[in-house]
Amino acid sequence: MALLRPSSRTRRRDTSGNRMWLWFMLPGTLWMTGFLIASLVLVAVLAVGTTDELGNPRFGFDLAGVRALADPAYTEVLARSLGYALLTCVICLLIAYPVAYTIALYGGRYKHALIAAIVVPFFANYLVRMYGWSVVLSDDGPVLRALRAVGLADSGTKILNSGFGVVAGLVYGFVVFMIIPLYAALERLDVSLIEAGRDLYGGPIRTFFFVTLPATRQGAAAGLVLVFLPAMGDFVSAQLMGGPDQIMIGNLIQDKFFQGQNWPLGSALTMLLMLVLLIGMLGYLRRTRKDEAEALR
Amino acid sequence: MDATPAVRLDGVSKQYADSYAVHRLDLDIEAGHFFSLLGPSGCGKTTTLRMIGGFSDPSEGAVLLAGEDVTDLPPNKRNVNTVFQSYALFDHLSVADNVGFGLKRSGVAKAEIRQRVGEMLELVQLAGLAGRKPRTLSGGQRQRVALARALVNRPAVLLLDEPLAALDLKLRRQMQVELKQIQREVGITFVFVTHDQDEALTMSDRIAVMNQGRIEQCGTPEDIYEHPATGFVASFMGTSNLMTGTYRDGEVTLEKGPALAVGARSGIEDGTAVSVSVRPEKIWLSDFEPGMSKLSGVLRETVYSGPTTTYLIELAPGVTLSVLEQNTARARMEDRWTGGETVEFGWRPEHCLVLA
Amino acid sequence: MTLVSTPSTTAPAGTSAPVRNRRRSHRRPRVLIAVTGLFFALLYLPIAVVALFSFNSQKSLTVFDGFSLRWYRAFVHDDVLIASLGTSLRISLVAMAGSVLLGVALAVGLVRCRTRFGSLAGLIMLVPLITPEIVTGVASMLLFKGLGVPLSTGTVMLAEITFSISYVTVILRSRVAALNPEVEEAAMDLGATRWQAVRLVTLPALLPAVLASAVLIFALVFDDFVLAYFTTGVDPQPLSVRIYSAIRFGVQPTINAVGTLMLAGSIALIALALFIPRLFGRRGGLDILSGE
Repeated sequence: MALLRPSSRTRRRDTSGNRMWLWFMLPGTLWMTGFLIASLVLVAVLAVGTTDELGNPRFGFDLAGVRALADPAYTEVLARSLGYALLTCVICLLIAYPVAYTIALYGGRYKHALIAAIVVPFFANYLVRMYGWSVVLSDDGPVLRALRAVGLADSGTKILNSGFGVVAGLVYGFVVFMIIPLYAALERLDVSLIEAGRDLYGGPIRTFFFVTLPATRQGAAAGLVLVFLPAMGDFVSAQLMGGPDQIMIGNLIQDKFFQGQNWPLGSALTMLLMLVLLIGMLGYLRRTRKDEAEALR
Repeated sequence: MDATPAVRLDGVSKQYADSYAVHRLDLDIEAGHFFSLLGPSGCGKTTTLRMIGGFSDPSEGAVLLAGEDVTDLPPNKRNVNTVFQSYALFDHLSVADNVGFGLKRSGVAKAEIRQRVGEMLELVQLAGLAGRKPRTLSGGQRQRVALARALVNRPAVLLLDEPLAALDLKLRRQMQVELKQIQREVGITFVFVTHDQDEALTMSDRIAVMNQGRIEQCGTPEDIYEHPATGFVASFMGTSNLMTGTYRDGEVTLEKGPALAVGARSGIEDGTAVSVSVRPEKIWLSDFEPGMSKLSGVLRETVYSGPTTTYLIELAPGVTLSVLEQNTARARMEDRWTGGETVEFGWRPEHCLVLA
Repeated sequence: MTLVSTPSTTAPAGTSAPVRNRRRSHRRPRVLIAVTGLFFALLYLPIAVVALFSFNSQKSLTVFDGFSLRWYRAFVHDDVLIASLGTSLRISLVAMAGSVLLGVALAVGLVRCRTRFGSLAGLIMLVPLITPEIVTGVASMLLFKGLGVPLSTGTVMLAEITFSISYVTVILRSRVAALNPEVEEAAMDLGATRWQAVRLVTLPALLPAVLASAVLIFALVFDDFVLAYFTTGVDPQPLSVRIYSAIRFGVQPTINAVGTLMLAGSIALIALALFIPRLFGRRGGLDILSGE
């Protein structure tokens, strides 16, 4: 019965199983990283590429594509895209808050069914729903007919082929991404907080602004990002609901790759889009870090 | 006779970053014993248990089971089974499949598995529930499944990590008795982790009281309770009426109170700061014997708790002693003291613990 | 000993507000409910319109002339569309299988692996979820072109798998994190190796979530348009891409029929995915979303 007492252990058993978990993660991570990095690198590389006589893209070094970005036509499209996307965010916020609030706080037993009834169709076919929405908003569609019936519109009013149409499309397409985080935040909210707020602030509106809104700020921020990102890159809405004066950066990109056969320019535009989104994301992350730091103080 | 201990921990430490969860532990657990690791949260008892089970690697030292160094063996290779605090049952398997899991892993024949599982379910009084899923069982039943699942493999040592913590009081008391019976019947060494000193006292053959990664005292329940080695052990095991003072020539002069005659204590030098402790039930309020140390104080509070009454007596400002009396048939309501009265109390000298 | 009576909890003296009824839940706010109702109406209106006019006996999208199944019959007899349907189904199946396999392993590894590599990998997983599809579409297309791989159904499958892995991982991560780690330890305590423990105990516990995400991925990939648009070749294009061309180039009432079928199919599948956990005795799967 030897007494074994190693002075210091040199060989440590892998008690956490980390080695095995790394193997688990390996195939998926390799695939994703490889795919993502390689593809994004290629976008960057092609942005400075050229097009040969046949219209095929060639790798090279030509800043023509990048310089073309400075063209006021393109900056106008970018600005418009930003405007549409931000407007969409605001409208989504205005719509999502009441809806999420009503379901979370007054839904009772039907809460889950109601949220499911919203989420499920949204994740069903985006294209078909946008198509349907364009039919609904068309000149002879139910919306305009109803508005005309109550006198809010005349026979000349159009929704499609205008900025309104595009934004309406974007809102319809992405409002669910605002509803989900808001709903999650509101559901977790302690109702007694609101009741206490009502006692403190008197009216429901003031309670909302001083109690509910701050408490669900993070959910709203997440929703803003989740709406802004796809809205910026969308091209379907502008195509179905807008006219040539309403094209967004997504339409430009699509055009350069499929019609214009100017792949380097298309890549350059994609890089521009990514840059804008990156700035937006960084801004969001810095804001949430600041919020977290403040909350800890 | 020097029997091989079922479990031996030899200088075992567990280090995290810059602190020790367990510090150079030396421990021998005899085969067939019901052994408890007792201590407050964070004292290292669960860490120690996990190192015996193989779920955690010691930073230093060796773990031996029946004389064999198993420090480098993973849990599935050790002849040890564990009952986890959360029971950790396999929800997608029936009770019978849960219990038979270990046997299946060992390659035991199906017929034998069925037989042994049946026997074990009988032992833990769950016969008839073999086909049920854990989700449909009560907390107490799930606990028994966890126990059966571990025991059926006939391990040399059974580790139990606060298995009764989630049960309500009545069920816990019942399970304490049952566990003890099962242990005696099966004869396996039980290593039982708990923070409940009542539990440890009632069930164990030996207890190791742990604090901040070290063993403060290891002994039988009586040893631990009647002769605590340190102030920590004294106050952890029930009310200790701990008082601090200085020892000099058979007397301890309390910091905040009078001098107590404690008799000559060998091994303690004059002038040493000591703690004095007398258990509440060892203090007499009447029928004093010759040779007892006697004192008087003011009765501050009377707490009635059914079979017993606790009196809080103020010996001196800042020094309050707790005295426990049984409400026996012979005691009379009228004989009880009322608040504010000065009462006399005393104890036998051997019940006065002086801890340096 | 006397019982001290407590005063009733009304508005403290001095406030002019009337005594409120504490339970407001039965005071339904009419404005909010109206807004929500309007929202639901507008949400389902396009779906209703497409469905309604898929049964229209005439071509019009504004006047309903009579009930007819002619557009559905036209769809069934349209070889091109049916071929596209087959392509979409194949793509969805492969993407589902591939992404679930890789995604399950990834999710389990991510949650359990406590190294810096683990947290880094976790962040990489989220990238496809936050990038607009047009960016992933363009990037994927350039990747294939750059590698000299001609665009085809296969490239769509590869791209869709990549995108779907993120979804699967996100869905499963919270489920894996909610599992009791002691259960795996218990399996090892009883004689299983770590791998056996995962196989026999952890994975079966994940089965409801895995099935739910598989169904969800199938539906999402089947409906996916932008990514497929950029990565498809000339062999039967996926159905969503065909529909897009049809929408762009004029009214084709068959679209209504196809669209209605796709919508019905997706809605059914997604609803099914959310209910699968319930079949296994757990609450409905919307915890997935609330857990985000």
